[in-house]
Amino acid sequence: MAKDKDRPMGNTVIGSSIVIDGEITGEEPLTILGTVKGKIVVAQNLTVEPGATVEANVEAQSLTVSGRVTGNVTVRERVELRSDAKMVGDVKSPRVVIADGASFKGNVDMDV
Amino acid sequence: MADKDVRETTVIGAETRISGEVRGDEDLVVRGRIDGRVQLTETLTVEAGGVVQADIEVKNLVVSGVVVGNVVASASVKLLAKARVIGDVTAPRFTMEEGAAYKGRVEMGEGEAARALEKRASRSVETPRQAPRLAAPARAAAAAPRHAAPPRVAAAPVARPALPRPETAAGVAPAWAKKKLRRR
Repeated sequence: MAKDKDRPMGNTVIGSSIVIDGEITGEEPLTILGTVKGKIVVAQNLTVEPGATVEANVEAQSLTVSGRVTGNVTVRERVELRSDAKMVGDVKSPRVVIADGASFKGNVDMDV
Repeated sequence: MADKDVRETTVIGAETRISGEVRGDEDLVVRGRIDGRVQLTETLTVEAGGVVQADIEVKNLVVSGVVVGNVVASASVKLLAKARVIGDVTAPRFTMEEGAAYKGRVEMGEGEAARALEKRASRSVETPRQAPRLAAPARAAAAAPRHAAPPRVAAAPVARPALPRPETAAGVAPAWAKKKLRRR
């Protein structure tokens, strides 16, 4: 597996041409460049890269979005919407960062 | 996006499990688990420790882990030494290393894969169990009968076409009536 060793990202990578329709569960970091529809439950960081599309309810330790996410998100630590992010859905997380340029529509629940 | 990186690889890590359908145009390496269906135009590699329980449609399949399900490969299937595979394999080329365990039927030769795909397409109305989706409530609503069957009242015969349909009549009618119908 020489091709993926220089990848700086997590152990599971969904490439840009991949479409997953269903449920992903995992105990390790997950990076999505492709399309995932359904449900995602990860015990680590979830990264949605530019160009990626996620139409799913998400549970994760932390979430970093540069792509497009549609769905409700429950995160234990931190949600970061980077400047390319497009997100529609409710966010429940103790910490939320929304960068300049990101678009977001939904409720934010930070337990205050 | 990934222009310089000619072919990407998707990796399903050892601690990750997917249930549902995976489609794509790039290589896929499985160290974790996939249940459902896999459709790729490139190579699927199931590494040692990886489990794929799915109907598989790929160009190439390389197995060191466990595969349960029917496989149709348009180019080749390789079972390496640690492979454990149960299911029918259709591929132009099929190789098995010493140490691999396999149970199933093998069909080799050009054209076999295409034929198998056709056959599968014609009967693939049954989709693998669908994971819950976002649109589930909407879908459920759409699936609900839009119009309940009209109550069978005396008005029914009026609505029905007047044409007699002997074959259906024979199917429904009691035995004595069938006899009569046959005599007619």
